[in-house]
Amino acid sequence: MGKGMFVDTSICTGCKACQVACKEWNELPGEPAHFHKVPNRPYSVAFNFTGNSYDNTGQLSATDWRHVRFIEQFTENRSETRWLFSSDSCKHCNDAGCLNACPTKAIIRTDEGNVIVQPDVCIGCKYCIPACPFGVISFSEKTGTVHKCTLCNDRIHNGLGTACAKACPTGSIRFGEMPELRARADKRLAQLKALGFAKANIYGYTEAKGLNVFYLFMDRPSVYGQPEDPVVPQRRLFRSAATMILAAMAVGVAALISFRERGAKKGGEVSK
Amino acid sequence: MSFETQAPDWAWYFIALYFYIGGVSAGAYFIGSLAELFGGEEQNDISRIAFNIALPLILITPILLIADLGRPERFWHLFFYTNGGVPYMNLQSPLSVGSWALMVYGAFSLLSFLDNLVAEGRLKSAPLAHLYNRLPRKAYAVIGSLAGFFVAGYTGVLLNLTARPLWAATDPLLGALFIASGASTGAAAIALVMAWKKMTSATAFDRLEAFDRITMVVELLLIVTMIVVAGRFAAPLLHGAYALLFWGGTVVLGILLPLGLYWYARRRGADRGAIVMLTASLVLFGGAVLRISLVQAGQM
Repeated sequence: MGKGMFVDTSICTGCKACQVACKEWNELPGEPAHFHKVPNRPYSVAFNFTGNSYDNTGQLSATDWRHVRFIEQFTENRSETRWLFSSDSCKHCNDAGCLNACPTKAIIRTDEGNVIVQPDVCIGCKYCIPACPFGVISFSEKTGTVHKCTLCNDRIHNGLGTACAKACPTGSIRFGEMPELRARADKRLAQLKALGFAKANIYGYTEAKGLNVFYLFMDRPSVYGQPEDPVVPQRRLFRSAATMILAAMAVGVAALISFRERGAKKGGEVSK
Repeated sequence: MSFETQAPDWAWYFIALYFYIGGVSAGAYFIGSLAELFGGEEQNDISRIAFNIALPLILITPILLIADLGRPERFWHLFFYTNGGVPYMNLQSPLSVGSWALMVYGAFSLLSFLDNLVAEGRLKSAPLAHLYNRLPRKAYAVIGSLAGFFVAGYTGVLLNLTARPLWAATDPLLGALFIASGASTGAAAIALVMAWKKMTSATAFDRLEAFDRITMVVELLLIVTMIVVAGRFAAPLLHGAYALLFWGGTVVLGILLPLGLYWYARRRGADRGAIVMLTASLVLFGGAVLRISLVQAGQM
């Protein structure tokens, strides 16, 4: 087992230091200005605010490799509220849909277990984008290739942790060896359960044969915008291919019925 | 908030159109091969026209595919891993295996096309004839057909092997559906060219029509099954612009109307050439709309 990250959303404060650290270290450009002048209005208008709590990017993209989600929960009569945060990124799945789908070997796994895109190999076919069950990997018109979190490939191969984990002020994002992280996660989960958080759960032990960036959620994964039961698409390959072959055989039989010369001599030779 | 995946933003006029044109070419090639392998002399027309259609169509497709790439100049990375210096194929990726299959199919449709030119006497002093004619003509028809089936069907498997709700929910039927559609549109393309050239051979039309009828019924059954299997994820095909395109264009104009016209022409004995031209055009239109609506609706 390689290196990975454990994201304990129960102690995330939604400060977005991880988003900033990620942009800084990976030299990712910021979004274009959020305010625009609009004709006939004296003030600038917020153009690309998501309007969804404090969420400022809305999703992961080619330049946003980290995305802090803000989930506002209210009870029926709005007397009680809960504000959930979760810092999302590439999960570096052990069975990675993007890597499986890549036709050029641009997406590879390094010796530390992280999944990276080789920018000089990628041709921009975009097939990895729908192949990711988590909607992580994204295309950039600017480079004509796909981009995603590399688990700070350069840092972790030089004895440093990831930039986001380094910047996290509460220890919500932790970088380290997978067995240690899992032990820590199990301990924290037991603690939370003992405190009465019955819905707390760990996301990423079994999904996609294990996620190297895994989470402790306080509610169901779907609340945090994660698929409840992600299926790595390529695991359906056999069934899909078999159905295609069956159809080809059926069409072959239909054609034989339609085009075979009934009872006559075989004609192809004659024409030669 | 629930299932969040991203769409690849493939342009319909590149990718969906490629899925379609590749299917027509492969369907025509396969029919041509069968007519050549098992048909009599009267079916030479079918196979000759099929091979003449298959090559030009498949020559268009690499242009469409490369044009949609983010880095078109690197298209050859599909076949060669530049950081390893070795040829590369990813057996788990339909896109990878499909690229190789397209190359193999292209090569065999070229051989069949050249052979055709020689047979027609249009290419007397074929410069490389001694090379390619060492392989018996029937051998390339068989291998080319198998590769052709792959080219027609892998595009559906490619869509199924994603996490996009519509494409994932229609698994594993899209490959089969595209094979049926490729066969049906391939037959229609041959019939259209024959009618166009006024080669009104009744038996050839009968055979093409019989085959087209079977494949269209299969297609219809697959479409119904697909919608049932997809359940609530079929929504993009049930509401909105793609619903109109899919049900109006593919199902009504592309399948039901041609089936009705075949039936009508049979009963009334209407002018064969005109009916064939009309039904073949409708079938070809329906096939294009099928790919466009499925590829685009899955990206909504």
